[in-house]
Amino acid sequence: MKAKVGVYVCECGPNIASKVDLDRILETLPALDEYREIELVVKKYGLLCSADGKNYLEEEIKSNGFTHLVLGACSPRDHNKTFIGVCKKTDLNPYLYKIINIREHCAWIIPDKEKATEKAISYLRGGINRVLYQSSLFEKQLDIDPDVVVIGGGIAGIETALSLAGEKRNIYLIEKSGKIGGKSSRFSSLLPRQGKGLALIEEKIEKVSANPFIKVFLESSLESIIGFLGNFEIVVKSKNGNTDIKAGAIVVASGYGLIDPLSSESHSYSESDDVYTSLEIEEMLKEHGKIMTKSGKEPASVALVHCVGREEKGYCSRICCNYMIKIARYLKDQSDAIKVTEFHKGLCMPDKGDQSFHKAMAERGVEFRRIQKITQDGTKISFTGMDGSPGNADFDMVILAPAIVPSEDTDSLAELLEIPVSETGFFQEMHQTTDPVATSIDGIFVVGAAHSPKGITDSIFFAQAAAGRILTHLIPGEKIVPEVKVTEVLEAFCTGCQNCLDVCVYGAISYDESKGVSVVNEVVCRGCGNCFGSCPSGALRTKHFTNPQLYQEVREAIR
Amino acid sequence: MNDTERSAARMRSPEGIRGSLHDFLKIAVDKGAVDSVLAPVKVPAENSYAWILMNDPAVIESASPVAPVMPVQGAKALKSLTRKGKGESRILAVMRPCEIRAGIELMKLNQVHFDNIVLVSYDCPGAVPFQDYVKDPGFSEESFGKMIASGRPGEENIKPACGICTEFSIVDSDIHFGYFGVDEGSAFVIPVSEQGAELLDAIGLDRDAKIADWESEISSIRDKRTKKRTETLSAAGERIKGLDGLINAFRKCIGCHNCMSVCPICYCRQCYFDSEVSKKDPDFIFEIAEKRGAMAFPRDKVMFHAGRMTHMSLSCVSCGFCTDACPTGIPVAEIFSYMADITQPTFEYIAGKNNGEPLPLRKFEKKELPLVHEIVKSAEGEEGSDE
Repeated sequence: MKAKVGVYVCECGPNIASKVDLDRILETLPALDEYREIELVVKKYGLLCSADGKNYLEEEIKSNGFTHLVLGACSPRDHNKTFIGVCKKTDLNPYLYKIINIREHCAWIIPDKEKATEKAISYLRGGINRVLYQSSLFEKQLDIDPDVVVIGGGIAGIETALSLAGEKRNIYLIEKSGKIGGKSSRFSSLLPRQGKGLALIEEKIEKVSANPFIKVFLESSLESIIGFLGNFEIVVKSKNGNTDIKAGAIVVASGYGLIDPLSSESHSYSESDDVYTSLEIEEMLKEHGKIMTKSGKEPASVALVHCVGREEKGYCSRICCNYMIKIARYLKDQSDAIKVTEFHKGLCMPDKGDQSFHKAMAERGVEFRRIQKITQDGTKISFTGMDGSPGNADFDMVILAPAIVPSEDTDSLAELLEIPVSETGFFQEMHQTTDPVATSIDGIFVVGAAHSPKGITDSIFFAQAAAGRILTHLIPGEKIVPEVKVTEVLEAFCTGCQNCLDVCVYGAISYDESKGVSVVNEVVCRGCGNCFGSCPSGALRTKHFTNPQLYQEVREAIR
Repeated sequence: MNDTERSAARMRSPEGIRGSLHDFLKIAVDKGAVDSVLAPVKVPAENSYAWILMNDPAVIESASPVAPVMPVQGAKALKSLTRKGKGESRILAVMRPCEIRAGIELMKLNQVHFDNIVLVSYDCPGAVPFQDYVKDPGFSEESFGKMIASGRPGEENIKPACGICTEFSIVDSDIHFGYFGVDEGSAFVIPVSEQGAELLDAIGLDRDAKIADWESEISSIRDKRTKKRTETLSAAGERIKGLDGLINAFRKCIGCHNCMSVCPICYCRQCYFDSEVSKKDPDFIFEIAEKRGAMAFPRDKVMFHAGRMTHMSLSCVSCGFCTDACPTGIPVAEIFSYMADITQPTFEYIAGKNNGEPLPLRKFEKKELPLVHEIVKSAEGEEGSDE
């Protein structure tokens, strides 16, 4: 049968049309059928991704009876799925279509219109040659598991669990310590209204215990995980042994830790001194109801030192300014006579209400001292003021705000889950501004301070956001379509060296001992091609990215 | 095993190392420490040697554990025996250090399994080039015999790869026979692994010899060799610099793929360059020919060698089989060793070591990325200065 290839170039409004000479493409491309036994139909259209454009394309495919389709348009990241959807409305298998990016790759980066047009033509020629070597692929549908595993029983994990748990969705909450609640349950009170907030957290903890759809694993950790969105298989390690869990999504809420003040050269911190971290003050207050020195007296003067370890870590921990002012209020509430000095390097007061809180405390006599440098040795503090003048002072008590760092399990969790961590050591989100709760693996989300330093409010935002994503992606009873462009093993070529097992990041490949060859689990495989690249003998073939397909595209493009 | 604690047994034979090794094989089988032996035996026509797996004492009697030539890389024989896992029989394999190192690389690629193998290595004087041997076996036997008797590595009538070999002595085998610089007729039997030590105990060889003198002899030879290797390979590097250098180096290639067939590391069932996928369409070839004005056949000469290089240079043990097998005399081993001496240090990897370190491409380390980048940059810089 003679191939009939439809080639449609999109003007993308002025985006492509003003930078690439589409009429020249229309004149040039048909010459291809002179040496290729194909029939080409080449046309242009205003905006293919518009509703009219999609209808137009659908009609064109149907009326022309195309065997293959090539679009010259935008990045496949933008609209590949759109046009796959169009193909699906016709008899044309979507894997016999190819989108060629003549916008980002040509129109937007090449100022010279003629050169941009030439490049677009060579790309399109490559694409036309490639589709001829593509094969139809057929999608499968898979049942999903709506259950969710939440790692970490702090406030972010609790909120995620409560938002998701229900009749048709069980939540497995894995907590490494002996009780849920996390660090916020160790606080004496919450911002901005003291007192009441803490009771709300207690209430949430109780709701978790009472919820029949939430199963809490205490003193437990993640042992292993394989699978993908909708079908994860997880092993949880507890004191009494391992539990196998099936779940559709995983939410990482592993929380944070505090930097050791001693890791900063400008600070000292020892048992014998009246030097405390902010968290120790919260605990002291919760336990004894009062802030006291080690000798059991009320301190007459207290220094609150912000930004401990900030320079070493290279980021602002975001929440310390607020809680340090909260600690100042504890002290002032305890006795107005306590002299409170806050040493800071510029205040971070991002939320509504923060500023007025700061102002109110300044009015109550808390001294806010902005400094350039500070050295703290026990309760002795020396500093350099903003004008460069040195100063020093001795206090009864020093309270440090150590930088917030990723919790100690972050790296091992990242390795198990195979999701990346960022330069700061916190988990790396998919996109900092536009996709903050997703990770590089579909179905694994990161919330709370595991993502970056966060207060309780933001942790709850994140938890609810992740819950929202899961609620819309994992609908009980609905099916998902696994990747079609997976890799297959050509057994006759496989020597069983198992290189592919090592490089597969999805755990999709296993080794068949009796045959001595590798086996790909097509449901788990995402078609990333790592194994394809690692196989010296060409025993692996990634569908839709086969050697002949790539070769024919490149060959024609550089002809 | 710690080097400082290393002590060895001593064996003597009027026929030197060859006699001692031969005796050792017989004792090991006699005492039931192993079931069979894998070693070279001279072929009946007396113009070559073959790997023979044997347990018949009469056949073992005819074995030549230290053969003057290497017609087939020993690692390939090991692969045939163990590629599907350990066999029933416990085998004592006597091999040159480069054969054992290649075997270790194949083990990392799951093509060789050492579970039932006892590896015996020896101070290797080098091997006679195969073509030289075939042309005049008598002369080759004589010159090799003298080389062995001298108790020093050979300098003449050996393969070019042997002349610049720095891993000619103890490797990660189980038992090593050291005799360089030791009194004539005498050899140290050094246990390298736990398994080796157990076998020496089982056959009742007392370990009371001190080997410090031998060790310093080996290290002084190695220093000289390292110098020679660096000089030879950097000269080779100069010759193959840039694409033109590579094209020139392989201009004589007839595309027989002998180098690949004899290479112990090339373990693919079928080489990509022998596959249908690699064959270009005739119309494409015509097109290129038209553009260039001419076309040389066979095609893909440099592509084949460069492709093979990317696949195996990290595991290359510089055994020199490729050069030995090249019918047109291309110094393939020199070129590949030059590359190996760049790629392996990049990943802090030494091919042929059995220290639990996986093949570099099977693990990813972030720190390697900038390193590779630097090497590429410096290579580009060199290219740039050529222009």
